[in-house]
Amino acid sequence: MTTAALTRAERPYDPADLSSVEFWSGTAQDREKVFAELRAHRPISWHEPVKNGMFEDPNDQGFWAVVRHADLVEVTRRPGDFLSGEGIAFESIPRELLDAAQGFIAMDPPRHTKIRRLMAAAFTPKQLARIDDHIVANSRRIVDDIAGKGRIDFVTEVASLVPMNNICDMIGIPEQHRRTVAYESQFADGWRDPRLLQGADPLARLTQTIVTVHGIAHELIAARRSRPENDLMTALVQAEVDGERLTDDEISSIFVLLIIAGNDTTRQSISHGMKALTDFPEQRAWLMEDLDGRLPMAVEEIIRWATPIMTFRRTAAHDTELGGQHITQGDKVIMFYSSANMDTEVFDHPEQLNLSRSPNKHVAFGGGGIHHCLGAQLARRQITATFRELLTRLPDIHTVGEPELGNGNFFHTVMSMQAEFTPEGKR
Amino acid sequence: MKIVVDRTKCSSIGLCEATAPDIFEIGADGALTILMDEVPADRRADLESACENCPTQALSIEE
Repeated sequence: MTTAALTRAERPYDPADLSSVEFWSGTAQDREKVFAELRAHRPISWHEPVKNGMFEDPNDQGFWAVVRHADLVEVTRRPGDFLSGEGIAFESIPRELLDAAQGFIAMDPPRHTKIRRLMAAAFTPKQLARIDDHIVANSRRIVDDIAGKGRIDFVTEVASLVPMNNICDMIGIPEQHRRTVAYESQFADGWRDPRLLQGADPLARLTQTIVTVHGIAHELIAARRSRPENDLMTALVQAEVDGERLTDDEISSIFVLLIIAGNDTTRQSISHGMKALTDFPEQRAWLMEDLDGRLPMAVEEIIRWATPIMTFRRTAAHDTELGGQHITQGDKVIMFYSSANMDTEVFDHPEQLNLSRSPNKHVAFGGGGIHHCLGAQLARRQITATFRELLTRLPDIHTVGEPELGNGNFFHTVMSMQAEFTPEGKR
Repeated sequence: MKIVVDRTKCSSIGLCEATAPDIFEIGADGALTILMDEVPADRRADLESACENCPTQALSIEE
């Protein structure tokens, strides 16, 4: 192939726009038109760097876009060729910020393996089954609080509270810090959003998030050292890797990762799920015929539909091939999960919500590599518990108007969305 | 059938436990335990799926 000889600087950019603020400020349906064309004609394509006015790196010459399901799965399963340690976002984020905020998600083996193993036991299917009553009770309390209202902001009053309470319970974050960490976690991707920034400088605001959240982490580290509890924070302060304790900064970085990954993902799935159940009434009717029996299958489709994380980046460890394309050492390779989850090679009519889709080989939790979502079982249980509670107690709950969407390239953010229902007890 | 774990590769990602929780278990120490010494033949499909889906190719079947 002639492209094999081209250096990063020589490669022509693909005409499809994946890099502008406008592209990421649109809807998933708009973006899908571009993805569909790339999947059909140029599955591994080279694009100009994302434009957002921050973290601009003069050496950043662009990225490869991986848009097909099969290619995305392959990248996730070749962690020796495609590294995470250089960062997992499009942007060339400074090393200090990566170290402070991305925990083991921006790490490669062997260190990744050792740190991730510390976390594994808390997130296994059996462990999640043990705490399921607790997850159900958290969803019930959230619905208790809205049941009499009739009209709510669904994101603030339901979708963001579900993961906030569950992940904070697991980590061991006390009540007084919960809203702070859930709010601050939004800046992981929302640092580029003027509606969130409210006039603040993006880098300054992001730094403020890190300082605030690390402050809470350090307080909890000290507390668990003097008095251990049965939670993840205690596991982290007691853990040894290669005979050494983790440093406070390492624990804080893992803490930041857990609150971001825990809050900003399930929040989006529940919001997009509520919108989808409003937009596809026949699907909802089918679900309601056997809610308990059909909900697990429906939740998988809701997660595909939401695809709460739209992209992850890898960096080529050395010159290699992917899908017949020559990739040069140091190239950024971006996987587009929202595109893979709409790939007609894998899904029949992916543009339609089909709650009975089976098998459902969505990649919303990853393509099955070593960075596969640690919290997948937790997410499934939370989404299941929340929709069971909502649809049973508030059977006519529906969204009103269009949601206000984020403008980031990482989380598929719903910032706010109105919902209405007949208050409980007034039917 | 027996399941063989290559401990130098296993990273405790837990996809095997998600496939067959009665055969695989990630313990409190983060290490994978095989819960059945001898796996019945009618579970071959689960085992093959677990081996194929292991992110680090740490699992194999011994006949």
